[in-house]
Amino acid sequence: MDARFTELLGKFLKFADGKPITEDSDLRALGLDSMQSIELLFAIEDTYGVSLPDDEMGDATFATAGSLWRAIATAGAAA
Amino acid sequence: MNELVDQVVQVAERHVARADRDAVFPVEALAELRRTRLLGLLVPAEYGGLGGTLADVVDVGIKLGRTDMSLSMIFVMHCQQVAAVVRHAHEPFRADLLKRIGQGQVYLASVTTEAGKGGHLRSAESALSGDTALAVDRFAPIVTGGAHADGFLITMRSPDADSPNQVSLVYADRDQLEVTASGDWQPMGMRASHSVPMKLVGSVPGEQVIGEHGAFGDIATTIFAPLAHLGWSAAWLGTAAGALSRVLRMIRGKEGRDRFDIKSELLLTRLSTARQRLDGVHALLRRAEHVVATAPDLSQPVNQLLLNALKITAAEQCHAAVNDLVDAVGLRHGYLKDSPTRLELALRDLRSAALNYSNDRLHLADGRLALLDPEVRFV
Repeated sequence: MDARFTELLGKFLKFADGKPITEDSDLRALGLDSMQSIELLFAIEDTYGVSLPDDEMGDATFATAGSLWRAIATAGAAA
Repeated sequence: MNELVDQVVQVAERHVARADRDAVFPVEALAELRRTRLLGLLVPAEYGGLGGTLADVVDVGIKLGRTDMSLSMIFVMHCQQVAAVVRHAHEPFRADLLKRIGQGQVYLASVTTEAGKGGHLRSAESALSGDTALAVDRFAPIVTGGAHADGFLITMRSPDADSPNQVSLVYADRDQLEVTASGDWQPMGMRASHSVPMKLVGSVPGEQVIGEHGAFGDIATTIFAPLAHLGWSAAWLGTAAGALSRVLRMIRGKEGRDRFDIKSELLLTRLSTARQRLDGVHALLRRAEHVVATAPDLSQPVNQLLLNALKITAAEQCHAAVNDLVDAVGLRHGYLKDSPTRLELALRDLRSAALNYSNDRLHLADGRLALLDPEVRFV
Protein backbone atom coordinates (compact mmCIF):
# COMPACT_ATOMS: atom_id res chain seq x y z
CA MET A 1 0.00 0.00 0.00
CA ASP A 2 1.37 3.43 -0.82
CA ALA A 3 0.93 6.59 1.25
CA ARG A 4 -1.38 8.10 -1.33
CA PHE A 5 -3.77 5.16 -0.84
CA THR A 6 -3.85 5.23 2.97
CA GLU A 7 -4.30 9.00 2.89
CA LEU A 8 -7.20 8.61 0.45
CA LEU A 9 -8.77 5.86 2.56
CA GLY A 10 -8.48 7.94 5.71
CA LYS A 11 -10.95 10.48 4.32
CA PHE A 12 -13.64 7.79 4.17
CA LEU A 13 -13.04 6.11 7.54
CA LYS A 14 -14.75 8.25 10.13
CA PHE A 15 -14.00 5.82 12.97
CA ALA A 16 -10.28 5.49 12.22
CA ASP A 17 -9.55 8.34 14.67
CA GLY A 18 -6.08 8.98 13.28
CA LYS A 19 -4.93 5.40 13.93
CA PRO A 20 -2.54 4.06 11.27
CA ILE A 21 -4.24 2.17 8.44
CA THR A 22 -2.72 -1.27 7.87
CA GLU A 23 -3.46 -4.07 5.41
CA ASP A 24 -5.72 -5.67 8.02
CA SER A 25 -7.77 -2.55 8.71
CA ASP A 26 -11.44 -3.56 8.51
CA LEU A 27 -12.98 -0.92 6.24
CA ARG A 28 -16.62 -1.44 7.26
CA ALA A 29 -15.79 -1.46 10.96
CA LEU A 30 -13.90 1.80 10.44
CA GLY A 31 -16.95 3.42 8.91
CA LEU A 32 -17.07 2.70 5.18
CA ASP A 33 -20.72 2.44 4.14
CA SER A 34 -22.18 1.57 0.74
CA MET A 35 -22.48 5.17 -0.46
CA GLN A 36 -18.92 5.91 0.58
CA SER A 37 -17.74 2.73 -1.14
CA ILE A 38 -18.88 4.23 -4.42
CA GLU A 39 -17.26 7.59 -3.77
CA LEU A 40 -14.08 5.79 -2.70
CA LEU A 41 -14.20 3.71 -5.87
CA PHE A 42 -14.47 6.82 -8.04
CA ALA A 43 -11.60 8.46 -6.12
CA ILE A 44 -9.42 5.36 -6.61
CA GLU A 45 -10.20 5.18 -10.31
CA ASP A 46 -9.35 8.88 -10.74
CA THR A 47 -6.19 8.70 -8.64
CA TYR A 48 -4.72 5.54 -10.13
CA GLY A 49 -6.21 5.74 -13.61
CA VAL A 50 -7.56 2.20 -13.28
CA SER A 51 -11.01 0.72 -13.62
CA LEU A 52 -11.91 -2.05 -11.17
CA PRO A 53 -13.77 -4.86 -12.92
CA ASP A 54 -17.47 -5.41 -12.10
CA ASP A 55 -16.57 -8.78 -10.59
CA GLU A 56 -14.55 -7.01 -7.90
CA MET A 57 -17.50 -5.13 -6.42
CA GLY A 58 -18.37 -7.65 -3.69
CA ASP A 59 -17.75 -7.47 0.06
CA ALA A 60 -14.44 -9.34 -0.30
CA THR A 61 -12.84 -6.46 -2.23
CA PHE A 62 -13.99 -3.82 0.23
CA ALA A 63 -13.27 -5.95 3.34
CA THR A 64 -9.87 -4.60 4.33
CA ALA A 65 -7.40 -1.97 3.17
CA GLY A 66 -5.19 -4.82 1.92
CA SER A 67 -7.92 -6.52 -0.12
CA LEU A 68 -8.86 -3.25 -1.79
CA TRP A 69 -5.21 -2.43 -2.49
CA ARG A 70 -4.70 -5.84 -4.13
CA ALA A 71 -7.72 -5.22 -6.39
CA ILE A 72 -6.20 -1.88 -7.43
CA ALA A 73 -2.80 -3.49 -8.06
CA THR A 74 -4.40 -6.25 -10.14
CA ALA A 75 -6.42 -3.75 -12.17
CA GLY A 76 -3.31 -1.61 -12.66
CA ALA A 77 -1.27 -4.57 -13.89
CA ALA A 78 -4.04 -5.50 -16.32
CA ALA A 79 -4.37 -1.96 -17.68
CA MET B 1 -44.51 -31.97 4.20
CA ASN B 2 -47.65 -30.79 2.39
CA GLU B 3 -49.77 -32.76 4.86
CA LEU B 4 -48.06 -31.08 7.79
CA VAL B 5 -48.68 -27.64 6.31
CA ASP B 6 -52.32 -28.55 5.64
CA GLN B 7 -52.75 -29.34 9.32
CA VAL B 8 -51.40 -25.93 10.28
CA VAL B 9 -53.57 -24.25 7.65
CA GLN B 10 -56.72 -25.91 8.98
CA VAL B 11 -56.06 -24.56 12.44
CA ALA B 12 -55.08 -21.14 11.09
CA GLU B 13 -58.31 -20.92 9.06
CA ARG B 14 -60.35 -21.28 12.22
CA HIS B 15 -58.60 -18.44 14.00
CA VAL B 16 -57.58 -15.98 11.27
CA ALA B 17 -60.58 -13.66 11.61
CA ARG B 18 -60.34 -13.43 15.39
CA ALA B 19 -56.55 -12.94 15.41
CA ASP B 20 -57.01 -10.06 12.97
CA ARG B 21 -59.94 -8.53 14.84
CA ASP B 22 -58.23 -8.67 18.23
CA ALA B 23 -54.66 -8.03 16.93
CA VAL B 24 -53.38 -11.07 18.80
CA PHE B 25 -50.67 -13.57 17.97
CA PRO B 26 -51.92 -16.79 16.29
CA VAL B 27 -51.05 -18.98 19.29
CA GLU B 28 -53.12 -21.94 18.07
CA ALA B 29 -51.33 -21.98 14.70
CA LEU B 30 -47.96 -21.65 16.44
CA ALA B 31 -48.83 -24.65 18.61
CA GLU B 32 -49.57 -26.56 15.41
CA LEU B 33 -46.24 -25.44 13.89
CA ARG B 34 -44.59 -26.88 17.00
CA ARG B 35 -46.61 -30.13 16.95
CA THR B 36 -45.93 -30.77 13.25
CA ARG B 37 -42.23 -29.91 13.82
CA LEU B 38 -42.45 -27.40 11.00
CA LEU B 39 -40.65 -25.00 13.34
CA GLY B 40 -37.70 -27.31 12.72
CA LEU B 41 -38.09 -27.27 8.94
CA LEU B 42 -34.51 -26.06 8.41
CA VAL B 43 -32.99 -28.14 11.21
CA PRO B 44 -30.87 -30.95 9.71
CA ALA B 45 -32.32 -34.45 10.16
CA GLU B 46 -29.36 -35.53 12.33
CA TYR B 47 -30.65 -33.12 15.00
CA GLY B 48 -34.22 -34.37 14.69
CA GLY B 49 -35.37 -31.68 12.26
CA LEU B 50 -37.19 -32.00 8.97
CA GLY B 51 -33.99 -31.28 7.02
CA GLY B 52 -35.79 -28.91 4.65
CA THR B 53 -34.30 -26.60 2.04
CA LEU B 54 -34.70 -22.97 1.12
CA ALA B 55 -37.21 -24.06 -1.54
CA ASP B 56 -39.24 -25.74 1.21
CA VAL B 57 -39.31 -22.51 3.22
CA VAL B 58 -40.59 -20.66 0.16
CA ASP B 59 -43.22 -23.35 -0.50
CA VAL B 60 -44.48 -23.32 3.09
CA GLY B 61 -44.38 -19.51 3.17
CA ILE B 62 -46.62 -19.31 0.10
CA LYS B 63 -48.97 -21.93 1.47
CA LEU B 64 -49.39 -20.32 4.87
CA GLY B 65 -49.74 -16.90 3.23
CA ARG B 66 -52.77 -18.12 1.31
CA THR B 67 -54.58 -18.29 4.64
CA ASP B 68 -52.84 -15.79 6.91
CA MET B 69 -50.08 -13.39 5.93
CA SER B 70 -49.16 -12.67 9.57
CA LEU B 71 -48.67 -16.38 10.26
CA SER B 72 -46.58 -16.80 7.13
CA MET B 73 -44.37 -13.85 8.05
CA ILE B 74 -43.94 -15.26 11.57
CA PHE B 75 -42.92 -18.61 10.09
CA VAL B 76 -40.47 -17.39 7.45
CA MET B 77 -38.77 -15.01 9.87
CA HIS B 78 -38.36 -17.86 12.35
CA CYS B 79 -36.75 -19.93 9.56
CA GLN B 80 -34.39 -17.05 8.82
CA GLN B 81 -33.22 -17.17 12.44
CA VAL B 82 -32.85 -20.96 12.36
CA ALA B 83 -30.72 -20.72 9.20
CA ALA B 84 -28.31 -18.43 11.03
CA VAL B 85 -28.06 -20.91 13.92
CA VAL B 86 -27.51 -23.85 11.54
CA ARG B 87 -24.73 -22.09 9.65
CA HIS B 88 -22.99 -20.02 12.33
CA ALA B 89 -23.67 -21.17 15.92
CA HIS B 90 -20.76 -22.79 17.75
CA GLU B 91 -20.74 -26.35 19.08
CA PRO B 92 -21.76 -27.74 21.52
CA PHE B 93 -24.33 -24.97 21.99
CA ARG B 94 -25.40 -25.32 18.35
CA ALA B 95 -26.35 -29.00 18.57
CA ASP B 96 -28.30 -28.45 21.78
CA LEU B 97 -30.29 -25.52 20.39
CA LEU B 98 -30.96 -27.25 17.05
CA LYS B 99 -32.33 -30.32 18.86
CA ARG B 100 -34.71 -28.12 20.82
CA ILE B 101 -35.84 -26.29 17.67
CA GLY B 102 -36.23 -29.62 15.86
CA GLN B 103 -38.56 -30.79 18.62
CA GLY B 104 -40.70 -27.70 18.20
CA GLN B 105 -39.71 -26.31 21.60
CA VAL B 106 -38.14 -23.07 20.41
CA TYR B 107 -39.87 -20.35 18.44
CA LEU B 108 -37.24 -17.74 17.60
CA ALA B 109 -37.84 -14.01 17.35
CA SER B 110 -35.47 -11.54 15.79
CA VAL B 111 -34.28 -8.43 17.57
CA THR B 112 -32.58 -6.33 14.91
CA THR B 113 -34.48 -3.04 15.00
CA GLU B 114 -33.24 -0.25 17.19
CA ALA B 115 -34.45 3.26 17.87
CA GLY B 116 -32.78 5.68 15.47
CA LYS B 117 -31.60 3.17 12.88
CA GLY B 118 -34.85 1.47 11.85
CA GLY B 119 -34.19 -1.89 10.26
CA HIS B 120 -30.64 -1.09 9.19
CA LEU B 121 -28.91 -4.38 9.88
CA ARG B 122 -25.28 -3.46 9.76
CA SER B 123 -25.03 -1.09 12.68
CA ALA B 124 -25.95 -1.18 16.34
CA GLU B 125 -26.01 1.34 19.17
CA SER B 126 -26.47 -0.83 22.29
CA ALA B 127 -23.26 -2.68 23.08
CA LEU B 128 -22.61 -6.09 24.56
CA SER B 129 -20.21 -6.12 27.45
CA GLY B 130 -18.19 -8.85 29.09
CA ASP B 131 -16.21 -11.80 27.81
CA THR B 132 -17.17 -15.22 29.23
CA ALA B 133 -20.60 -13.86 30.15
CA LEU B 134 -22.17 -11.27 27.89
CA ALA B 135 -24.42 -8.64 29.39
CA VAL B 136 -27.43 -7.87 27.21
CA ASP B 137 -29.35 -4.64 27.66
CA ARG B 138 -31.35 -3.85 24.58
CA PHE B 139 -34.49 -1.98 23.57
CA ALA B 140 -36.12 -2.78 20.23
CA PRO B 141 -39.07 -0.82 18.82
CA ILE B 142 -40.45 -3.80 16.85
CA VAL B 143 -40.15 -7.48 17.74
CA THR B 144 -42.55 -9.67 15.77
CA GLY B 145 -43.94 -12.36 18.05
CA GLY B 146 -41.65 -11.23 20.84
CA ALA B 147 -44.24 -11.82 23.54
CA HIS B 148 -44.50 -15.49 22.50
CA ALA B 149 -40.91 -16.30 21.53
CA ASP B 150 -38.91 -18.91 23.43
CA GLY B 151 -35.60 -17.48 22.26
CA PHE B 152 -34.22 -14.36 20.66
CA LEU B 153 -31.45 -13.62 18.18
CA ILE B 154 -30.27 -10.16 19.07
CA THR B 155 -27.94 -7.83 17.22
CA MET B 156 -25.75 -5.65 19.43
CA ARG B 157 -22.56 -3.72 19.08
CA SER B 158 -19.61 -6.06 19.74
CA PRO B 159 -17.79 -5.85 23.07
CA ASP B 160 -14.97 -3.29 22.84
CA ALA B 161 -16.10 -2.21 19.36
CA ASP B 162 -14.49 0.87 17.85
CA SER B 163 -17.57 1.73 15.78
CA PRO B 164 -21.32 1.00 15.52
CA ASN B 165 -20.53 -1.07 12.41
CA GLN B 166 -18.98 -3.87 14.49
CA VAL B 167 -22.08 -5.89 15.21
CA SER B 168 -22.45 -9.28 16.88
CA LEU B 169 -25.41 -11.64 16.82
CA VAL B 170 -26.18 -13.34 20.11
CA TYR B 171 -28.77 -15.91 21.14
CA ALA B 172 -30.69 -15.67 24.38
CA ASP B 173 -33.28 -18.02 25.85
CA ARG B 174 -36.33 -16.28 27.21
CA ASP B 175 -35.42 -17.46 30.72
CA GLN B 176 -31.97 -15.88 30.41
CA LEU B 177 -33.60 -12.48 30.04
CA GLU B 178 -35.90 -10.17 31.80
CA VAL B 179 -38.35 -9.43 29.00
CA THR B 180 -40.62 -6.42 29.11
CA ALA B 181 -43.07 -5.90 26.26
CA SER B 182 -44.40 -2.39 26.20
CA GLY B 183 -46.87 -0.41 24.18
CA ASP B 184 -50.05 -1.29 22.36
CA TRP B 185 -50.23 -2.99 18.96
CA GLN B 186 -53.00 -1.54 16.81
CA PRO B 187 -51.82 -1.55 13.19
CA MET B 188 -53.81 -1.33 9.94
CA GLY B 189 -52.84 -4.85 8.89
CA MET B 190 -50.47 -7.66 9.85
CA ARG B 191 -52.39 -7.51 13.09
CA ALA B 192 -51.72 -11.12 14.09
CA SER B 193 -47.96 -10.60 13.81
CA HIS B 194 -48.10 -8.87 17.20
CA SER B 195 -44.94 -6.81 16.65
CA VAL B 196 -44.38 -4.96 19.88
CA PRO B 197 -41.62 -2.84 21.41
CA MET B 198 -39.48 -4.84 23.83
CA LYS B 199 -36.83 -4.33 26.43
CA LEU B 200 -34.45 -7.25 26.96
CA VAL B 201 -32.04 -7.35 29.89
CA GLY B 202 -29.93 -10.29 31.00
CA SER B 203 -26.72 -12.20 30.64
CA VAL B 204 -25.75 -15.07 28.34
CA PRO B 205 -22.65 -17.29 28.11
CA GLY B 206 -20.08 -16.23 25.52
CA GLU B 207 -20.66 -19.47 23.57
CA GLN B 208 -24.08 -18.16 22.56
CA VAL B 209 -22.59 -15.70 20.08
CA ILE B 210 -23.68 -16.73 16.58
CA GLY B 211 -20.65 -16.49 14.31
CA GLU B 212 -17.69 -14.36 15.35
CA HIS B 213 -17.89 -11.08 17.24
CA GLY B 214 -18.21 -8.20 14.81
CA ALA B 215 -18.99 -10.48 11.87
CA PHE B 216 -22.76 -10.05 11.76
CA GLY B 217 -22.40 -8.09 8.51
CA ASP B 218 -21.52 -11.33 6.73
CA ILE B 219 -24.52 -13.13 8.26
CA ALA B 220 -26.70 -10.22 7.15
CA THR B 221 -25.46 -10.51 3.56
CA THR B 222 -25.50 -14.28 3.27
CA ILE B 223 -28.50 -15.23 5.42
CA PHE B 224 -30.63 -12.50 6.99
CA ALA B 225 -31.21 -10.30 3.94
CA PRO B 226 -31.65 -13.09 1.37
CA LEU B 227 -33.95 -15.17 3.57
CA ALA B 228 -35.94 -12.08 4.56
CA HIS B 229 -36.53 -11.12 0.95
CA LEU B 230 -37.33 -14.67 -0.16
CA GLY B 231 -39.50 -15.40 2.86
CA TRP B 232 -41.41 -12.12 2.83
CA SER B 233 -41.99 -12.36 -0.91
CA ALA B 234 -43.30 -15.90 -0.46
CA ALA B 235 -45.69 -14.71 2.27
CA TRP B 236 -46.92 -11.82 0.10
CA LEU B 237 -47.28 -13.97 -3.01
CA GLY B 238 -49.21 -16.54 -0.99
CA THR B 239 -51.48 -13.84 0.42
CA ALA B 240 -52.32 -12.48 -3.03
CA ALA B 241 -52.63 -15.99 -4.52
CA GLY B 242 -55.06 -16.97 -1.75
CA ALA B 243 -57.09 -13.83 -2.42
CA LEU B 244 -57.20 -14.47 -6.17
CA SER B 245 -58.10 -18.11 -5.60
CA ARG B 246 -61.02 -17.22 -3.32
CA VAL B 247 -62.26 -14.65 -5.86
CA LEU B 248 -62.06 -17.15 -8.74
CA ARG B 249 -63.87 -19.84 -6.74
CA MET B 250 -66.58 -17.39 -5.82
CA ILE B 251 -67.05 -16.21 -9.42
CA ARG B 252 -67.16 -19.79 -10.66
CA GLY B 253 -69.64 -20.89 -7.98
CA LYS B 254 -73.39 -21.06 -8.62
CA GLU B 255 -74.16 -17.81 -6.82
CA GLY B 256 -71.17 -16.10 -8.39
CA ARG B 257 -72.22 -16.99 -11.90
CA ASP B 258 -75.53 -15.28 -11.23
CA ARG B 259 -73.88 -12.21 -9.80
CA PHE B 260 -70.91 -11.79 -12.16
CA ASP B 261 -70.93 -11.62 -15.95
CA ILE B 262 -67.98 -13.78 -16.90
CA LYS B 263 -68.17 -12.45 -20.45
CA SER B 264 -67.45 -8.96 -19.15
CA GLU B 265 -64.24 -7.86 -20.82
CA LEU B 266 -63.48 -5.59 -17.89
CA LEU B 267 -63.79 -8.46 -15.38
CA LEU B 268 -61.72 -10.80 -17.56
CA THR B 269 -59.02 -8.19 -18.01
CA ARG B 270 -58.87 -7.52 -14.28
CA LEU B 271 -58.55 -11.22 -13.49
CA SER B 272 -55.86 -11.51 -16.14
CA THR B 273 -53.90 -8.57 -14.76
CA ALA B 274 -53.99 -9.95 -11.21
CA ARG B 275 -52.83 -13.35 -12.40
CA GLN B 276 -50.10 -11.79 -14.57
CA ARG B 277 -48.74 -9.83 -11.61
CA LEU B 278 -48.52 -12.99 -9.50
CA ASP B 279 -46.86 -15.06 -12.21
CA GLY B 280 -44.24 -12.33 -12.57
CA VAL B 281 -43.54 -12.33 -8.83
CA HIS B 282 -43.46 -16.12 -8.73
CA ALA B 283 -40.89 -16.32 -11.54
CA LEU B 284 -38.70 -13.73 -9.86
CA LEU B 285 -39.05 -15.47 -6.50
CA ARG B 286 -37.97 -18.86 -7.89
CA ARG B 287 -35.08 -17.29 -9.77
CA ALA B 288 -33.87 -15.48 -6.65
CA GLU B 289 -34.26 -18.69 -4.63
CA HIS B 290 -32.00 -20.47 -7.13
CA VAL B 291 -29.41 -17.68 -7.00
CA VAL B 292 -29.35 -17.71 -3.19
CA ALA B 293 -28.90 -21.49 -3.19
CA THR B 294 -26.09 -21.51 -5.76
CA ALA B 295 -24.28 -18.13 -6.00
CA PRO B 296 -20.74 -18.28 -4.58
CA ASP B 297 -20.80 -14.62 -3.44
CA LEU B 298 -24.14 -13.04 -2.60
CA SER B 299 -22.45 -9.71 -1.86
CA GLN B 300 -21.86 -9.14 -5.59
CA PRO B 301 -24.04 -6.27 -6.83
CA VAL B 302 -25.80 -8.39 -9.47
CA ASN B 303 -27.03 -10.78 -6.77
CA GLN B 304 -27.98 -8.00 -4.36
CA LEU B 305 -29.87 -6.22 -7.13
CA LEU B 306 -31.88 -9.33 -7.94
CA LEU B 307 -32.82 -9.93 -4.31
CA ASN B 308 -33.80 -6.32 -3.76
CA ALA B 309 -35.77 -6.30 -7.01
CA LEU B 310 -37.64 -9.35 -5.77
CA LYS B 311 -38.59 -7.64 -2.52
CA ILE B 312 -39.64 -4.37 -4.16
CA THR B 313 -41.53 -6.10 -6.98
CA ALA B 314 -43.31 -8.59 -4.72
CA ALA B 315 -44.38 -5.81 -2.35
CA GLU B 316 -45.75 -3.67 -5.18
CA GLN B 317 -47.28 -6.35 -7.38
CA CYS B 318 -48.94 -8.49 -4.70
CA HIS B 319 -50.61 -5.42 -3.22
CA ALA B 320 -51.59 -4.17 -6.67
CA ALA B 321 -53.07 -7.56 -7.62
CA VAL B 322 -55.38 -7.58 -4.60
CA ASN B 323 -56.24 -3.93 -5.17
CA ASP B 324 -57.28 -4.84 -8.74
CA LEU B 325 -59.45 -7.61 -7.37
CA VAL B 326 -61.34 -5.17 -5.16
CA ASP B 327 -62.38 -3.33 -8.33
CA ALA B 328 -63.09 -6.61 -10.09
CA VAL B 329 -65.64 -7.83 -7.55
CA GLY B 330 -66.91 -4.50 -6.21
CA LEU B 331 -68.13 -3.24 -2.87
CA ARG B 332 -69.88 -6.30 -1.49
CA HIS B 333 -67.07 -8.80 -2.00
CA GLY B 334 -64.13 -6.42 -2.33
CA TYR B 335 -64.63 -4.10 0.58
CA LEU B 336 -66.70 -5.77 3.28
CA LYS B 337 -64.97 -7.66 6.07
CA ASP B 338 -67.36 -10.61 6.04
CA SER B 339 -66.91 -11.52 2.36
CA PRO B 340 -65.49 -15.03 1.90
CA THR B 341 -62.92 -13.48 -0.48
CA ARG B 342 -61.20 -11.82 2.53
CA LEU B 343 -59.86 -9.17 0.13
CA GLU B 344 -60.27 -6.53 2.82
CA LEU B 345 -57.86 -8.36 5.14
CA ALA B 346 -55.41 -9.25 2.35
CA LEU B 347 -55.26 -5.65 1.16
CA ARG B 348 -54.63 -4.27 4.66
CA ASP B 349 -51.99 -6.92 5.32
CA LEU B 350 -50.24 -6.35 1.98
CA ARG B 351 -50.13 -2.59 2.49
CA SER B 352 -47.32 -3.26 4.96
CA ALA B 353 -45.16 -4.98 2.34
CA ALA B 354 -43.68 -1.81 0.84
CA LEU B 355 -43.00 -0.47 4.35
CA ASN B 356 -41.44 -3.60 5.82
CA TYR B 357 -37.80 -2.67 5.19
CA SER B 358 -39.03 0.20 3.09
CA ASN B 359 -39.00 0.07 -0.69
CA ASP B 360 -37.86 3.70 -0.68
CA ARG B 361 -34.69 2.72 1.15
CA LEU B 362 -34.10 -0.32 -1.04
CA HIS B 363 -34.36 1.85 -4.14
CA LEU B 364 -31.54 4.03 -2.77
CA ALA B 365 -29.43 0.92 -2.20
CA ASP B 366 -30.26 -0.34 -5.67
CA GLY B 367 -29.31 2.96 -7.25
CA ARG B 368 -25.89 2.67 -5.64
CA LEU B 369 -25.58 -0.99 -6.65
CA ALA B 370 -26.56 -0.15 -10.23
CA LEU B 371 -23.61 2.23 -10.39
CA LEU B 372 -21.34 -0.68 -9.43
CA ASP B 373 -22.54 -2.75 -12.40
CA PRO B 374 -22.18 -0.41 -15.39
CA GLU B 375 -22.26 -3.32 -17.83
CA VAL B 376 -25.75 -4.22 -16.55
CA ARG B 377 -25.32 -7.96 -16.20
CA PHE B 378 -28.09 -10.34 -15.21
CA VAL B 379 -28.08 -13.45 -13.03
